[in-house]
Amino acid sequence: MKRPMRMLALAGITASALALAGCAGSPSTSSNNGSGKTTLTITTWDYADTPEFKALFTAFEKANPDITIQPVDVPTAADYEAKITTMLAGGDSTDIITVKNLTDYSGYVAKQQLVNLDDVEKAAPSDKLAGLDSYQYKGDYFALPYRTDFTVLFYNKDLFQKAGLAAPDNLTWDQFAQDAAKLTSGSGANKVYGAYVHTWNSLVQGISAVQNGKDLTDPSDYSYLTDQYNMMLKLQKAGDIPNYGEATAQKLAYQTEFETGKAAMVPMGTWLIAPLLADKAKGVSVPNWGIAQLPQITAGQPIVTDGGPTGFGINKNAKDVAAAKKFIAFAASEQGAEAVASIGIVPSYQSDTITQKYFGLAGMPQDDLSKKAFAPDSVKPDIPVNPNAAAVNTVLSQEHQLIMTGSKSVSAGIKEMESLVKSQALSQ
Amino acid sequence: MAIDARLGGDIRPTLRAKRNRERLSKTVVYVLLSVLLLVVLLPFLWMLSSSFKNNVDVLSVPIHWIPQHWVWSNYRDIWKQVPLAGYLGNSALLAVSITFLQVLTGSFAAYGFSKVKFPGRDGLFLAYLATIAVPWQAYMIPQYVMMQHAHLTNTFWALILLQAFGAFGVFLMRQYYLTIPEELTEAARLDGLSDYGIWARIILPLSKPALASLALLTFVNTWNDYMGPFIYLSSNSLWTVQLGLRQFIGQYSADYAMIMTGSVISIIPVLVIFLFGQRYFIAGIATSGMKG
Amino acid sequence: MTTTVAHVESGRAERAPARGRVQRRRATLIGWSFILPNFLGFALFTLVPVIAALGLSFMSWDAYNPPKWVGLHNFIRLSQDPMFWAALENTVLYAVGHVPLTLALSLGLALVLNRKLRGIEFFRVAIFFPYISSLVAIAIVWNLLFDPTSGPVNVLLTHLGVHNPPGWTSSTTWALPAVIITSVWKDMGYYMILFLAGLQAIPGELYEAASVDGASAWHKFWNVTVPGLRPTTFFVLVILTVSSFKVFDLIFVMTEGGPGRATLVLSQLIYQDGILNGQFGYSSAISLVLFVMVLLITLFQYRLQNRRQD
Repeated sequence: MKRPMRMLALAGITASALALAGCAGSPSTSSNNGSGKTTLTITTWDYADTPEFKALFTAFEKANPDITIQPVDVPTAADYEAKITTMLAGGDSTDIITVKNLTDYSGYVAKQQLVNLDDVEKAAPSDKLAGLDSYQYKGDYFALPYRTDFTVLFYNKDLFQKAGLAAPDNLTWDQFAQDAAKLTSGSGANKVYGAYVHTWNSLVQGISAVQNGKDLTDPSDYSYLTDQYNMMLKLQKAGDIPNYGEATAQKLAYQTEFETGKAAMVPMGTWLIAPLLADKAKGVSVPNWGIAQLPQITAGQPIVTDGGPTGFGINKNAKDVAAAKKFIAFAASEQGAEAVASIGIVPSYQSDTITQKYFGLAGMPQDDLSKKAFAPDSVKPDIPVNPNAAAVNTVLSQEHQLIMTGSKSVSAGIKEMESLVKSQALSQ
Repeated sequence: MAIDARLGGDIRPTLRAKRNRERLSKTVVYVLLSVLLLVVLLPFLWMLSSSFKNNVDVLSVPIHWIPQHWVWSNYRDIWKQVPLAGYLGNSALLAVSITFLQVLTGSFAAYGFSKVKFPGRDGLFLAYLATIAVPWQAYMIPQYVMMQHAHLTNTFWALILLQAFGAFGVFLMRQYYLTIPEELTEAARLDGLSDYGIWARIILPLSKPALASLALLTFVNTWNDYMGPFIYLSSNSLWTVQLGLRQFIGQYSADYAMIMTGSVISIIPVLVIFLFGQRYFIAGIATSGMKG
Repeated sequence: MTTTVAHVESGRAERAPARGRVQRRRATLIGWSFILPNFLGFALFTLVPVIAALGLSFMSWDAYNPPKWVGLHNFIRLSQDPMFWAALENTVLYAVGHVPLTLALSLGLALVLNRKLRGIEFFRVAIFFPYISSLVAIAIVWNLLFDPTSGPVNVLLTHLGVHNPPGWTSSTTWALPAVIITSVWKDMGYYMILFLAGLQAIPGELYEAASVDGASAWHKFWNVTVPGLRPTTFFVLVILTVSSFKVFDLIFVMTEGGPGRATLVLSQLIYQDGILNGQFGYSSAISLVLFVMVLLITLFQYRLQNRRQD
């Protein structure tokens, strides 16, 4: 009868001892460590697996020996925004908030959580910073970019050669569909798809909007999406791209589809380059690949693609704004660009030297088409900065799923987008 | 003698029939359970087999239940890729302290709610019940703001304080105590035992199965909790197993082979706890306790 | 204290009620002393934030700047929000499917596994396995099992003569049933544990007495097991109902509410609108509606239990 009591007591002692030990193990998060050195805190996601942060931080610390950077790491990229929202709600004083995408940026700006950076922007080489414009909100800047990604067409050179096709230089979407049909072969486990279009709505809606010169936050008329949807549904029906429902059910990963040669063409952001280079360096078999311009509505016109910056902003509750501004200026400079480019990430700062360095990386394709594709004429965000960007995107993404799984016709889906975006997202 | 023999002859066939029937029903139970087992264990088997594969082979269709190429290195590499031992330690620390506090304060409070009659008791109990009905998404941010003001974010204390006093444990123990006959506590009172004595000497030993199930479920829930540690713990040195696992799902591609390796490793402590705890679900234990 | 003593001495007639009062005060003190350690933590860390959250439903708050009082505005907006109605419908449908199925299966399993059989520990562990398996693994495996063309579920259905097997997670009609099946499979071990503990509380003498009376197994189940399990069943029913209405994790990793809004549930809407879209007042209003709904159901179950007990 006394045994449970004794067990409880024992467990209690163990638990309290452990709890104290854990408390002692937790490091303090103070900004100054007394030795005259400043500590700058920066939010990051998945620090161990996102090498750009380390590259950038190390380069900055080398250039500024009096400042140490301490990452405040969020374990998963997918839940980054939820954690930042909660932290800021609690009055967190981390100095720099990494702005993962424009939708998040819209949120910070709407809540006035970031420090105005107009002075840093004026001093920065603004004309060379791709994607800087996207951060402009009512004439002001609240973040500066350090990397800018845009959508290109990744293609498998061997599969193109096998099908006897020319490299996909400046294709129209019609030509893209024709090539996809010719590149499709085999069945079952040996099936090779002409293309893999990932399940994101931005790959249909975002691309279509920027190439038609439209704004997805304007719900008055979404009919310009019709052609792109009809093409995708046709490709899907013919089996030239993987079925949308199966892609979701099997959680297909675009990198795997491309790397294993399951798909000959993959329209995807330039962020796919770095992992391809890294895998090659690790000894994983990567096909002979290149990049081409994103297909356009008509040929011979300036290349328009969607994309956007990733950047840094300063928390209104930051402890050391001066040091934070120093870091942001560094990240947007040529020095920062070099650090980022050295690991295969596309920096925002663009110059011939940077491009040369970038293509000098081991494993980068060396053909002219890839270099041409690397310099599109116009890069626009698929959803511009807007306080309702997140809510608009929720609706658009739901309708995208309904259209692609065949649960709704294209016209019904577009009509629903118009009415839902109008009534829900824009009327708070 | 003759009568005895006849009696024996009569009884033996019925006994044998009974024994046969029991054996048959046992076989049926075993067969049914084995079929069920296969269905239930399917994802675990998949986890296990995936943890012995290359990442590229994990999601190949059709499913290969037995890896074509056995990859043993996952179980070695995972310890190098992430400080898994540290994560396991942190998870264990949190799970043990929360479980201990939950079981102790829960069973203590449950006695007050079930065996002591006083005005306002049922109203208070309803307040406990009511909070169960609110989704955590709703009060996650107010809770965090409070913890930030108390300077407890990024410490284990935040999670321990938040999860150790849940309504769940109180509710579970109260329901169990309701089944313990009132006569037992009355008799003890007449013997001169105080309420604290009754709780410690009579109720606690009798509620071993309920204590075991509460401890088990609390342990598992804390062990598997992702959102709590995710929101409250920023320093890598404090991360738990679940955070480590999610970290594998990198930004570009999901390293499923490693995720499954980690999942298999993360389940083992829970398994041990379960095997230890389920001994308290042996049929008949409560009856013998009642007699004593 | 002195007044009570005076009362007691003042005469026999007043003695009984006075003693009652003393006893009641004593009982209150004792009762609270039991509840207090838990209640302090509970009130501070759960009750206060919950009340704050529900109060926010009458305000407009972006989770950063000071909240503004907006009265019933959030609720008016709610009533006109098709997303809310879709999520409400899905949530109710989910609960209607999930609660009875899980209840029946977990009770059945507990009855089967509550006996002395060789290797019974192994079976108990196995049934509990889905609950402790990683959600990521569960989502991947079940999505593969439910794959419309190559998944084992549909392959089996085709063999059984079903010509047009459902599209499961990629179909707006079948996504919810797919999610329900997965969640029943995952949760039944959890509730089985609770039932197993409950079964231990039923005195074996009751079964022996029933056997002596020649009761059949069915009779014993209805007349001994069911009444003996009543407090446990109440507990399981409440926890099961509440968790069904609050379902989030599994659906989030399996379908993320899709395709379209086919498996969008209230908790996900609260997460989406509050934490991701920065409309915290509005999401709190959804929480309040969910709260009131669940509370009414729980109160109904509570009444039902109390009436049966009397």
